[in-house]
Amino acid sequence: MNVIIIGAGKLGIKLAKLLVEEDIDVTVVDKDAQVLSNLNEHLDCLTAIGNGIDIKILKELGIAEYDLLVASTESDEANALICSLAKKLGCAKTIARIRNPEYMQQLDFIKAQMGIDLIINPDLATAMVIERYLLKSYGFYSDYFASGKVEMMDFNIHSNDDFVGKDIKDLKGFDDLLITAISRKGELIIPNGSTKLMRDDIIYIIGNCNEIRKISDSFGDGHRQKAVERVVILGGGNIGYYLADRLSKEGVLVTIIEKSNAVCKNLTEKLDNVLVIHGDGTDIHLLEEESLDEMDAFVGATGFDEENLLMALMAKQLGVGRAIAKISKANYEKIIDRLDIDVAINPVYITASDILKIVRGGKVISVSLLLGADAEVTEMVIEEDFPFMGEPLSSMRLPEGIIIGAIVRGEDVIIPKGDSIIVEGDRIVVFSLTEDLPSLKVFFQGKKGGILGELWNRVKGTR
Amino acid sequence: MNYGIVLKVLGSLLIVESILMVPSYIIALVTSGKDKNAFLIAIILTMATGLILSFKKGIKAHIRARDGLAIVTFGWILSSIFGAIPLYMGGSTKTYIDALFETVSGFTTTGATILSEVETLPMGTIFWRSFTHWIGGMGILVFTLALLPALGIEGFQIFKAESPGPVAGKIAPKLKDTAKILYMTYLILTLIQIALLILGGMGIFDSLVHTFGTVGTGGLSSKNLSIGHYNSSYIHVIIGIFMMLSGINFSLYYGLYKGKGRLFFKDEELRLYLAIIAVSVVAISLNLLATSYERLSTAFRDSFFQVSSIITTTGYSTVDFDMWPSFSKGILFMLMFIGGSAGSTSGGIKVIRVLVWLKLIKREINKLFHPRAVIPIKVNGRVMPDETIAGINSFIALYIIIFIISSLLVALEGVDLISASTSVAATLSNIGPGLEMVGPMRNFGDFSQITKLLFISLMLLGRLELFTMIALFAPRT
Repeated sequence: MNVIIIGAGKLGIKLAKLLVEEDIDVTVVDKDAQVLSNLNEHLDCLTAIGNGIDIKILKELGIAEYDLLVASTESDEANALICSLAKKLGCAKTIARIRNPEYMQQLDFIKAQMGIDLIINPDLATAMVIERYLLKSYGFYSDYFASGKVEMMDFNIHSNDDFVGKDIKDLKGFDDLLITAISRKGELIIPNGSTKLMRDDIIYIIGNCNEIRKISDSFGDGHRQKAVERVVILGGGNIGYYLADRLSKEGVLVTIIEKSNAVCKNLTEKLDNVLVIHGDGTDIHLLEEESLDEMDAFVGATGFDEENLLMALMAKQLGVGRAIAKISKANYEKIIDRLDIDVAINPVYITASDILKIVRGGKVISVSLLLGADAEVTEMVIEEDFPFMGEPLSSMRLPEGIIIGAIVRGEDVIIPKGDSIIVEGDRIVVFSLTEDLPSLKVFFQGKKGGILGELWNRVKGTR
Repeated sequence: MNYGIVLKVLGSLLIVESILMVPSYIIALVTSGKDKNAFLIAIILTMATGLILSFKKGIKAHIRARDGLAIVTFGWILSSIFGAIPLYMGGSTKTYIDALFETVSGFTTTGATILSEVETLPMGTIFWRSFTHWIGGMGILVFTLALLPALGIEGFQIFKAESPGPVAGKIAPKLKDTAKILYMTYLILTLIQIALLILGGMGIFDSLVHTFGTVGTGGLSSKNLSIGHYNSSYIHVIIGIFMMLSGINFSLYYGLYKGKGRLFFKDEELRLYLAIIAVSVVAISLNLLATSYERLSTAFRDSFFQVSSIITTTGYSTVDFDMWPSFSKGILFMLMFIGGSAGSTSGGIKVIRVLVWLKLIKREINKLFHPRAVIPIKVNGRVMPDETIAGINSFIALYIIIFIISSLLVALEGVDLISASTSVAATLSNIGPGLEMVGPMRNFGDFSQITKLLFISLMLLGRLELFTMIALFAPRT
């Protein structure tokens, strides 16, 4: 597979990294020579300097031979135009990033008229994730799979005596659950039965929805929360706008604090039932005036990671039930787990997950990136070309970094053991470390691994 | 430095090298040469060392800039040290340093020799000397990476340090695919030339030896008189043309294959390269015709062969050009510095750097007329970044400094200035023969062991384009 990415911004670079890890040929085009030369040092991809709207450059790169183009430049309009041009020049599939809320109404028209296969909007996707999290009744970050039958959640065990110092196999109530990973001081550990849990570990549990709920109730350590009724959002940018719009439609009282007067006016025009306040969100007096401490949730959604993180920390200290920060730089990820923030959300990962799903093709139902994209959860359907059909899991020799978290057969959720088997039509939820991803290809490509298999794939690929 | 990964790559390199010695061993066995045991011992030693170094399993780490430099520098040194074993143990050279000289000369595609009598060498040794040209031409480490993608190593740092030219350019998104395309081009050139030489009546063994020397732009021959041994215009012209082709950026051939023929001849570096060759050939032909030659066709043939041989830093000769008039020798001396194109197998400063240099000079002149003019340096329609230009400038400056200091060091031996300076140019630019004492009919055998060591380091410096090696041994700043 051959993918071209126009625009080496945060999304472009992250996407390029993820795709290269999947052994996909990636070409990155950007105007900035410096950015590209840095990229070249760290990533095995082709780079080209130039403006992606330049037809000459697209032709020089042989755009017709690419399977997918992702336009992720700064400008929405440029992205749409690039996709349209590339499509006309023969690129198989195109994805454009479009963020401006004003275009959202006519997206379908734009898509159809300009030949864009998919429009991604990281800000909207982020707002949706935050909304989902806020409207849930308990305080863990979690993700649903298999239309809600399987759930994965993470939580910090702090110094809970039920966990700390125990081996995983000795934990009570975990018969139908699987601990897929432990995040310890920013490092990801794949546990086995004899792994000892330590203070402040964050554990990732996968299992049947009801079982997960039981666990979160019993070990939740008072995490169960009242429903969210009042939310304050710092920053009235795109994410703030989308989130406020969606929450207010669910009947939540939303307050937006925004520095720029013009943006405030614009927001009030478009949003009903939302309180827009013009002021500096880091001003403690302003926050007190708006009685931050009575809020159920705080969302830091400004353009500055530092501001979002610090204000979320402060909100938490003032007693706000949930504090969420939007971050966009990958650099802080290693320490965020140690901060007392409920969730830090990086729009880039959400968007990258959506694109990965497209890249991997039909069998893959969803991809969610976790922990700074060091790991991911993939959900897919098993089709007839699956090589290990009917064989017990233990004979599949999966690498340590890949764990089959759940098998969904009809209405049943099976938490697999070594002797479990997979049959056609199953939906499986797989947890995997990014570095072991290539081994996962066996699942969604249905080809045998090993050197011979590799060669065979190459021969087929060159035809 | 990340020692684990450095050792692992070096180990794999030695394993690959020991396998590459096998064909020479087979030839030694078949001809039952006196070097057959030497090859067997060398293969076992190299393989064993390689296995020990790469023993550690499961290292997956990012290769940082410094690791890349260390891998490339030590990789070339180590493979030369082990590659010299068959020459020394087979009795082809008197001392180990002589054997090392021959091997480094082989791997760096220099083609300088300390042996005055080549034809009596065992066949296996002759083959191995030339085969090192072929391996070294495209870079031994890139070869290893291309062969062993299973190492799972990000090789861009290595590729960058090993590929000739100011900017390392990939032609495919994946490094391993880029290496594959380049080696395919290399292989095709090689096969065509072997076929053409055999058609021209050269024996199969000699065709192989001379093809390796040509496409690798090396220059070691199986004959004492080099290509002059063959009294056939056909062979002279074929080798002359293939030397010229090997001095062209290989990625241009890929563009040609991809149907971008127009871009091929629009490439500014290629144009300048061909222009330099044309002007030099015409000038030397006329000069020869005015002095010793009688027929235009022979003057043209010999001058084309020699110009092509020197500018691509191959070093084959059909005549003793040391006997040519000073003007012609002067042109050849100048060509020694220019060298071939970036991304080819040749050495020297590289045409692209000369091109940028000329453009800089033109810009300075323009600026005298229009002091406030903004004039970017463009190559092939693209603006060249200032850092690249600065890199080119310091490269050329360093080249000249190393050339002068080394010439003085060689002159310490008491040799004349032309011998001293051309012997340094011939090794630093990876050519082989120079003028006077190191002229095409003579060799490097008369220098002292210390000076030979100097030449060995000059050849490596030149092949790895100066900075790779110097940066590694320079104190941290």
